[in-house]
Amino acid sequence: MESIRKLIYYSILITIFQYVYCDDFKEEIFLKPLPPTHLYGYFQFVTLVDSETSSFHSHLAPRSLTEVISRFQVEELHLTLTEGQWRHHQWGYPVLDAAPGAELYAWFSPDVADVDTQWKKLTSTLSGLFCASLNFIDNFNTVTPQMALWPMGAVKSGQNVTSQLRYASLPREIVCTENLTPWKKLLPCESSRGFSSLLNSRMIHNTNYHSIGVHVRKICKSNDCSETQLEIKQTVALVYDYDIINSNDWSFRKLFGQGLPGACPLSSESKIYIDITSNDTHAYTLTPPPDNIIVSQRGGSDTRLAVYNIKADGQMINIGAKHNSKPDLPVSIPPPLHFNRYILGYGKEFGGIVTELTNNCWTSINVVVLENAPWWLPLQLSSLRVNGQAESSLVLSQYYSPGRSRQKPYHLELLIKLPPRSTTTVTIDFEFVFLKWQEYPPDANHGFYVGSALISANLPTARNYTSLPIAGTTFDSVVNASKQWYPIVFRTNGAMVSLPTPDFSMPYNVICLACTVVALAFGPLHNICTKELVLKPLGTPVSLTQKLFNLFKKKRD
Amino acid sequence: MGVILKYVVAGLVRYYLIHLDYWQTIANRVEIATPLNSWKRLMEGVYLYEHNINPYEGDSFHESPIMLLTFYYIMKKVPFILPILFTLLDLLTAYLLYKTSQAFIRIFKESQKNNISEVAEESKSMLLNDDQLKGAAEYVLSVYLFNPYSVLNCAGMTTTVVQNLLVATALWGASSGQRIVACVFIALATHQALYPVLLIVPIAILLADVNKGCTKCSYIRTLLVFVLSWGFLIYLSAYIMDGSYNYVYNTYGFILTVPDLKPNIGLFWYFFTEMFEHFRLLFVCAFQINALALYIVPLTLRFKREPVLLATVLIALSTIFRSYPCVGDVGFYLALLPMWKHLFSFMQQKFIVGCTFIITSALGPTVWHLWIYSGSANANFFFGVTLSFATAQIFLITDLLFAYIKREFTLKHGSSRQVDGKPAKLVLR
Repeated sequence: MESIRKLIYYSILITIFQYVYCDDFKEEIFLKPLPPTHLYGYFQFVTLVDSETSSFHSHLAPRSLTEVISRFQVEELHLTLTEGQWRHHQWGYPVLDAAPGAELYAWFSPDVADVDTQWKKLTSTLSGLFCASLNFIDNFNTVTPQMALWPMGAVKSGQNVTSQLRYASLPREIVCTENLTPWKKLLPCESSRGFSSLLNSRMIHNTNYHSIGVHVRKICKSNDCSETQLEIKQTVALVYDYDIINSNDWSFRKLFGQGLPGACPLSSESKIYIDITSNDTHAYTLTPPPDNIIVSQRGGSDTRLAVYNIKADGQMINIGAKHNSKPDLPVSIPPPLHFNRYILGYGKEFGGIVTELTNNCWTSINVVVLENAPWWLPLQLSSLRVNGQAESSLVLSQYYSPGRSRQKPYHLELLIKLPPRSTTTVTIDFEFVFLKWQEYPPDANHGFYVGSALISANLPTARNYTSLPIAGTTFDSVVNASKQWYPIVFRTNGAMVSLPTPDFSMPYNVICLACTVVALAFGPLHNICTKELVLKPLGTPVSLTQKLFNLFKKKRD
Repeated sequence: MGVILKYVVAGLVRYYLIHLDYWQTIANRVEIATPLNSWKRLMEGVYLYEHNINPYEGDSFHESPIMLLTFYYIMKKVPFILPILFTLLDLLTAYLLYKTSQAFIRIFKESQKNNISEVAEESKSMLLNDDQLKGAAEYVLSVYLFNPYSVLNCAGMTTTVVQNLLVATALWGASSGQRIVACVFIALATHQALYPVLLIVPIAILLADVNKGCTKCSYIRTLLVFVLSWGFLIYLSAYIMDGSYNYVYNTYGFILTVPDLKPNIGLFWYFFTEMFEHFRLLFVCAFQINALALYIVPLTLRFKREPVLLATVLIALSTIFRSYPCVGDVGFYLALLPMWKHLFSFMQQKFIVGCTFIITSALGPTVWHLWIYSGSANANFFFGVTLSFATAQIFLITDLLFAYIKREFTLKHGSSRQVDGKPAKLVLR
């Protein structure tokens, strides 16, 4: 009787709990072998919060983050900290692409009038929250993309979203443990339980590519979208090299240094998805066997996903793959759209940036290319050439905002129609800038990082496409999600230029020498203007002792 | 006949250089093109204007809106005319300088005749006769036409070609007594590059001398016409930019605050690269005062009887000390010097200055290549060269002025250097 009463008591309590806090937490891992030599691991931790509940009372959602969102009236926010370069040509497409270094973009609520001030405050706060150098984001490296970026979340129709958007990237930012630790603290289970316990920095910083991210957006609660929910998605993307783990057979123990100690008890769903499509060509067996296998047909490509449901029973799980035979020679089929970016020219006077876009599809693809050059790399719009032509019919639309030294970056956006099965090159020239000596970073001859260009495209096919559909929150939304278009935003590789440097060791010498030359003019001109010529008789030369004597004599007088 | 041949040869050389494969290299040289006058920047500005982007929003264009509109229409209607246009403008500058020096000779002869009573008896032989004076104008013409600095400047199609034409027209207008022409053109030049504002002083004196009558009334009239036309040009530019005066920050503001530290032949670039940030404003002010205001009053008081010499010296000094000088400016004032060829015998540093000009002109491109392209030298090398080039120019100007006062003294007191029979030397007191 006592136990039944207790049960009722608890169930009432839980119901009230659930009613008051409508938070929901889900964790997922998506693993995809990238034959022949790499493995892609993607973690996502999704927390859904009712927008209406105050940010000061949170249950599963990180209060530090929700407070930032509500205080600065942020509608949508994307922050990624990335080390390494995703090789689209070789690896296909990631679930979420990220620029090397730090990248941040956010849409502010339409109520915010002074977006720039709010943006500055937001970046400073996030800088503290993630121990990243986001406080270096200022007007001189912020742009407002006109065509390349669109909100992923729910937006009121007829709202001008572009003016409320700010985008900045810090390509020089180095991502390390100090960023991962505060990131893990935002999770309900932190790093003690659940999937996040796999993320130990010793192992994940030992990868070819790692990227941690926080993505906040508003999603519809119901079909009519009368109410919205806040979706906080924390992601980690890792690319392991089989050479680093010393074998083609991977397992959690090899990848993360330990097995999975069950799900996070606070999560409502903990699933691991493994893309086993490549099993046809590189046969391997998964141990333990998956709970079920889903076949998904999406945009003309079939994907097979092995699914594991993980329970919070504290049992150690070590999922691994063992290859049955020696792998055959790989045939890599390039993705429908891939690109490359590089710097032209020699010397430190004039140069050019080339962005090469290759369309492998049988249809033409419209892409938006956003070139975002820092102020010390002044672009010359008159030198813009698409496939070597100044006036190209491939450019459907163009936006250019010229930069200003120390104030504003150069920002060029092009809407280009890529013809089927072709490579298009976009070239633009720049001039090297000579900075003041205190503006050079330490180790000035290391070179300066130029941020990635953004490429925003609507792909006609879902080949190599792993992203979630725009309305989806978890990976089960991928299954059979055929659409007409598959929107995606890519980041090209960054580039580096070496600016001419002054001699840092001689400011005093230069100041003295230049002033001396000015004085060389001033002295004679002063003489000419103030004195007159006279004839002076030439006397006998005076000896040094006589001079000294005269000096004393004068004093005595 | 000979004169026409000179024009034809000089024109062909310029026209040929513009059509050379190396034209791009010439047009991009740091010595020839500065952020202020380079052809590339002008084209960028015109391109932006054509695409409805305000060129003054960014940092790539620093010419005046009047130039922008002019070149916009030229580029739109007759772009093929540009090489021939630049050549003709430069030849016209040479012709105007020739006319100016002829007028100057006329003025010089007159003043020599008026002041003959002050000349000592034994120095009468030093007075210049017609034959000696006649050659000066020819030299001015030849120097402007064949000076490599002017030739390269024109071949690089910099806007300094236009600047030189405006200043030359103003000088010609002043020396022939045409107040409106002189004032309007000096206002145009000032509107383009600010530093020619100095020239209003010698022009006012020259106009008063040439148009005899009430001197003060003449000064006031000149100043009034100048201020009115300058104001009108500023207004006209704003009218072109749809009533916005923001272009001022990108033209005058750019010249005065020196934000672009790309090397040139001047003194500013490395000085402000290496400047401590909290002293920057102080030194920017000091250097700009040095270039704009410091020498004008003393030199005017000292040389008010020689307005053409005053103009030459002010053009030279503002070239040496301006924030973005180029060889085109140097070529322009070098062309004015042959008017003073009777002073050359009193100059002491001709040889040093000549050698330094030649050596720095050869060393500059060399060390630039070593620094920027082969990475085996550093900025100090190029700085050293620009520093000695500036020093040579300063020596040239101060030497010219010393020569003038020495000749003045000799005319007055005779050429003997003796006091009471004892040997003596000339000193400043």
